[in-house]
Amino acid sequence: MSSTETMRRGAIERPPAAPERSSDRADGNRRPRAGLAVLGWAIAASFILPLWWTVASALRPQRETFATISPVSLWTLLPRDLTFGNFSRLFDAGFGRAMVNSSVVTAGTLVGGLAICAAAAFALAVLRFPGRSVFFGVMVISFLIPFDAIAIPLMSIFRGVHLDNSYVALILPGIGNGFAVFLLRSFFLGVPTELADAARADGLGWWGVFWRIYLPLSKPALIGAGLILFVFQWQAYLLPLLIAPDPEKKVAPVAIAQFAGQQGVDFGAIFAGATLTAMVPLLVLLFFQRYFTQSVSASGLK
Amino acid sequence: MSIRTTGRAGAPPAAARSARRRLGDLPIALTFLAPAVLAAVLLRLWPTVRAFWDSLHNTPLGVEPTHWVGLEQFRTLFTDPDFLNSLKITALFGIVVNPLQILTALALAVIFNERIRGGGLMRTLVFLPVAVPQSVSAVIWAVAFRPDGPLNGVLARLGIPSQGFLTSPGQALPSIILVVSWIGVGYWMMFLIAGLKEIDPVLYEAAALDGAGRWARFRHVTVPQLARQITFVLVADTISNLLVFAPVNILTNGGPNGRTDLIMNDVFNRAYNQGDIGSAAAATVVVVVIALAIVLIQFRLISRGSD
Repeated sequence: MSSTETMRRGAIERPPAAPERSSDRADGNRRPRAGLAVLGWAIAASFILPLWWTVASALRPQRETFATISPVSLWTLLPRDLTFGNFSRLFDAGFGRAMVNSSVVTAGTLVGGLAICAAAAFALAVLRFPGRSVFFGVMVISFLIPFDAIAIPLMSIFRGVHLDNSYVALILPGIGNGFAVFLLRSFFLGVPTELADAARADGLGWWGVFWRIYLPLSKPALIGAGLILFVFQWQAYLLPLLIAPDPEKKVAPVAIAQFAGQQGVDFGAIFAGATLTAMVPLLVLLFFQRYFTQSVSASGLK
Repeated sequence: MSIRTTGRAGAPPAAARSARRRLGDLPIALTFLAPAVLAAVLLRLWPTVRAFWDSLHNTPLGVEPTHWVGLEQFRTLFTDPDFLNSLKITALFGIVVNPLQILTALALAVIFNERIRGGGLMRTLVFLPVAVPQSVSAVIWAVAFRPDGPLNGVLARLGIPSQGFLTSPGQALPSIILVVSWIGVGYWMMFLIAGLKEIDPVLYEAAALDGAGRWARFRHVTVPQLARQITFVLVADTISNLLVFAPVNILTNGGPNGRTDLIMNDVFNRAYNQGDIGSAAAATVVVVVIALAIVLIQFRLISRGSD
């Protein structure tokens, strides 16, 4: 299998709805198909039910959430008495601050991460220089060290330079992402080198080649890499818990967990907070799903 | 991961150009690479080195200066019943959760790769939990597992008495396994579906002509053709399960009685609740070593699989 080649441009530009081959197979009869559809829907429903129930519970009074559990019925999943009261109590409790923090940190990670990952990927894919494999090796090895595993020493380092409880400490760890570098690099490798050579002959510098030729051509890969950075940072829990416990700098995933851990919890507000925190990445991913699927098929081949 | 591909893809132009200029594009390349290399060194390599350094030094809270203690902290760690328990729980968890998730992901990939009406939507629904922050998923499941929660509500409908789930010593770890699998299985499924789409349909036709049934085709076409993706998922999943933290921290904090004290939760509590940086660093080193060992095995398996 020529995985090297498919990993490049082909893997990323392939239309998402690649023709499915199963129909070519010998077993085209109808009954197993219907059975499969039922099975498929049952599986899909079981995965989505917890999220559905969360959204339903965010939109109804807390009393109704627990009243509809015993006994369980269709009303467990369908809110009868729609209200936004849970959301207003959530924001009264200061959750808005956490959402703002998460948004700032994620936006910073996205911009900074795409900039440094794309620049590095460009050098590794396009430029020719001695020691390239050494640089590549250093990047590979360091990005293979799982991030959460080194959360404790990272915390000590940030505390040592008094950067704890700062946006910088929350953003920096997310910007160097190995997957993003690999994804962009494999895409850049697929850009015909004639383009760069021609532009160079016309007197364009390497920054110009990067900025005016490679980046505009790489929108799908940039979106794919952006999604990786976004989902990673929006999810972050362990490191923010360690380096930014200050209420002013608390991010949404930490705030929601601590909110849920309090005595005399307000379940309605918890469901509202869970819904909001989950909704942001869900909507982004649904909107850009095509690019995410493509980045998955590209990275899976590495 | 892509080391293998670099040389092959870059070799001819690299040779041609370096003949043209000795240094090639080194100065400009350094400016492109500097930020990422700095990030890699300062935020990955340096903390890892720091963990090793801290694990070999005593960093007392008082005025006493930091001093070399050699392997003392590891000796303490490996005689600490809490740490040994968390190693045991982590191993038990890994032995169950990894095969379970990979087999489930494979089964789901095969089902959703079939042409079914609405298949794309089903796939998306199975995949969505991975986009939800893990702490949010944990908070949702914490309510779901409550004695007055919906899971016990369903059991009551079926005439089954209320279960303890997270508070039951026997059910707590399986409950964590359920939650992390609900989160992760759809993600791994996507990698396997991407692999299934790469398989040449001619292979299935040939197998069918040879009289191979469904199972034989799965066993002799699908599995070998998917070996690369299965290996990737196996390793990536094993590492992510080694590092499970938020669900444990939020749902059980290691309890009841240490039954769900996975290693990252143990490391966190050493640093955060006990303030014992030296012992947390030693435990971190253990986690990093285990993770790197898993990655090395990945390189072995993948290079063997592709040759």
